Amino acid sequence: MNRSGQQVLRMLALVPYLQGNEGVPVAEVAREFGVTPAQIRADLRLLMFTGVGEYAGELIDVDLGALDADDVVYIRDAEFMQRPLRLTPAEGIALIVALRTLRDSATGAQLAIVDSALAKLESAVGGEVEAPVGVHLDEDDESIRATIVDATAAGRRLRLEYVGAARDERTVREVDPRRVFVEQGRRYLEAWCLRARDLRFFRFDRVVSAQATGESVEDRAVAPRALGDGLFTVGDDAASAVLDLDPAAHWLIEYYPVDELAAPEPGDGRRRVRLFASDLDWIRRLVLRNAGTVHVVEPSSLREDVALWARSALAAYDDDDPITQE
Amino acid sequence: MNLIFTLLSTRQYLSKEQLRQAIADYRDSSQQAFERKFERDKEELRELGITVETGSNDKYFDDEPGYRIRRDAVELPDLSLSREEAAVLGLAAQVWEHAGLAQDSMSALVKLKAAGVTIDTDVVRMAEPKLSANEPAFDAAWDACTRRVPVAFDYRRPGQDPSRRHVQPWGIVSWRGRWYLTGHDTDRDAPRVFRLSRVVGEIATDGAPGSYDVPDDADVQAAAASFLPSSPDRSAVLRIRRDRGQGLRRSAESSRVVTDEVDEVVVPYASGWDLAAEIASYGPDVVVLEPADLRAAVVDRLRAAVRDAS
Repeated sequence: MNRSGQQVLRMLALVPYLQGNEGVPVAEVAREFGVTPAQIRADLRLLMFTGVGEYAGELIDVDLGALDADDVVYIRDAEFMQRPLRLTPAEGIALIVALRTLRDSATGAQLAIVDSALAKLESAVGGEVEAPVGVHLDEDDESIRATIVDATAAGRRLRLEYVGAARDERTVREVDPRRVFVEQGRRYLEAWCLRARDLRFFRFDRVVSAQATGESVEDRAVAPRALGDGLFTVGDDAASAVLDLDPAAHWLIEYYPVDELAAPEPGDGRRRVRLFASDLDWIRRLVLRNAGTVHVVEPSSLREDVALWARSALAAYDDDDPITQE
Repeated sequence: MNLIFTLLSTRQYLSKEQLRQAIADYRDSSQQAFERKFERDKEELRELGITVETGSNDKYFDDEPGYRIRRDAVELPDLSLSREEAAVLGLAAQVWEHAGLAQDSMSALVKLKAAGVTIDTDVVRMAEPKLSANEPAFDAAWDACTRRVPVAFDYRRPGQDPSRRHVQPWGIVSWRGRWYLTGHDTDRDAPRVFRLSRVVGEIATDGAPGSYDVPDDADVQAAAASFLPSSPDRSAVLRIRRDRGQGLRRSAESSRVVTDEVDEVVVPYASGWDLAAEIASYGPDVVVLEPADLRAAVVDRLRAAVRDAS
């Protein structure tokens, strides 16, 4: 919807809102409607030219004295519209899809609240509303999810058994949960890690077990991290490597933070990128995972490392290797 | 606005001429300009979700049709929201990280507030999911799905030149933060799933809104399930070094100690290709005992890595 359409929608909601909130300060109206006070004043000036006719009593009357002197709003002669309009299909769909997304992360009693809110919302939409929109979150363990969400709500410390993404290791740590959020289709816990003495993000599907310790979280004056900070953005300490990608590996460009470089030999379908990651070990695993379609250009130490790992892995397939002996 | 207010405040149908007399802007216009403005305003009302009824005050006389807005059809009914339900709607309005949809959510919320609903999101504490949509093609795809508009667009699969596709959209799905369009590909006469980030340029409309039906069994989620991981139907037996291969151990069916250094772990899987890639990434820490085809797939991959370095 265009800007003037938005303004009309807002003004149509202002009329009943202001009649139900006599003498409300302009600043509060602006906050409730998510616009600037100047915008509300502009809306009010326009409203004074509207009504069911053009004679006194037929036009909406705004008390300009109170508006200028005290920054509060009184309107009169607007009895013809005391309720807001139904939701438009566009508004309805946006909220319905958002509610479904909330529902996907809800547990226990929250589910019933979201469901009844959804049902009531659907009755509030004018006309038919179809929302052919699905939001699919990755599977994670429901009991672990419930434990984490409940502990976050109650302010309880958690003991997590966690498998990190970068290193192949499982750790047990105590954390003070701060909030749960979803990013790129996956659920995360933001928590103060007592071991790292810093804020950390924990991906739900990497949590092996979660248990409340019975202690309450400690209050800490830590600024909340902006969503995405250190999670998907490239830090200063990031490692990087130059890789050539065969066509079968071009999808990597859409998935990981890369800078695309000039192709080595234009026309053969290979693309050259600089890929950023938390460390070179992670890149080594990525190359091994996609061996044959991802080729290391530099650093040469990474190329040698990949070959070393591959050779020693192949050696394990010789029958007399200790790993396969009982 | 005056048209809305005037039509709202009448129980009778008002004829076009009566409306023209009642509203100054119409009255002061030429006949032609009035007709144009009236049509434009009616269209705007439709976009706002306001249905203007046409009808006649006297069903026995075939007089000029009149217009009115039925209050109960356009006014927001009393939803009797509990504090918790109102809070959940408030949280829902914060889900979208997309300019247009955040705006739509916000103006929906504003209407609820105008109806006297108090929204205090602190009443419930729950996860705060976010939905974003950075694909340039998202807005057009969203619009096409919600209004059932056939579309045409250039689509580039990795490593191929873009090709023109003609699609009757069924729905869009978010998976791992990316948006996919599902629908009937009319050239291939089959259902297809398109990743919006692979759409090149603009999505063009290719027919009238509502000009096709979405089949009843076209469950959007199910159509999209074609690219979701399927359920495991096989198992692999792996030897994994102690404390290593944690990603594989997480999905293990069973595990037994073989030596001080090594465990034997049974891992269910659906795609041998994906599992072979995962196993290769652990290098010497994970070795496949069986099945043989998985073992061969891992060895192939490792040989390719060695070849690359020489």
